[in-house]
Amino acid sequence: MFKPTSALFSGLLWKTPWRISQPQKARQRKRLRSVDRVVDTLSAALQRNGQSTKAVERWYAEMPREEEMVPKDKYTIFDKKEKTYRKGIHKLPKWTRVSQRVNPPGF
Amino acid sequence: MAFFRITLLRSAIGLPRRTTDVLKALGLKKRMATVFHPVSQSVAGQVMKVKELVDVQEVDRRLTKQEVHLERKPDPGYYVEKRGNAEFVEQTRE
Repeated sequence: MFKPTSALFSGLLWKTPWRISQPQKARQRKRLRSVDRVVDTLSAALQRNGQSTKAVERWYAEMPREEEMVPKDKYTIFDKKEKTYRKGIHKLPKWTRVSQRVNPPGF
Repeated sequence: MAFFRITLLRSAIGLPRRTTDVLKALGLKKRMATVFHPVSQSVAGQVMKVKELVDVQEVDRRLTKQEVHLERKPDPGYYVEKRGNAEFVEQTRE
């Protein structure tokens, strides 16, 4: 019955898989698109009022849209400690609720 | 006058305290709660702080709490032809 695994032998050991799964990737794309949609709605509504906001303008200036992003940036994130300078985005704390779209140029 | 219809889809548990404070300022206390705010720069800025957690639509007017509830209410599968009281009144008239 008892299977000696490292998770059972040591106190606190959480294992995050190295790879991100296909459904996780699909949901990640869905979340990226939903954030794009929220920003578009805000921008369109403000424009109809003849207004604009710094936060929205900054988002458009700095952040790529979901369809403009390369898969590398959608599913991985820069990490200086990794040999390839990249790790899965699911290693990022609270990764389903933060906007992490740009990485250092050249990496 | 246009309004933002803001619905909280994802909880802010475990996120920075400021995120929860922004949600509270918008009047969103629990998931699936819906609030209406006039289209303005300040509201847009607040929504930008929590854009990963909410769904936003632009609508023409504020809906009441009951109207929002009725949108989500499923079809009961029947309709009322006549109330019992109305039938009784008809029968006593004859």
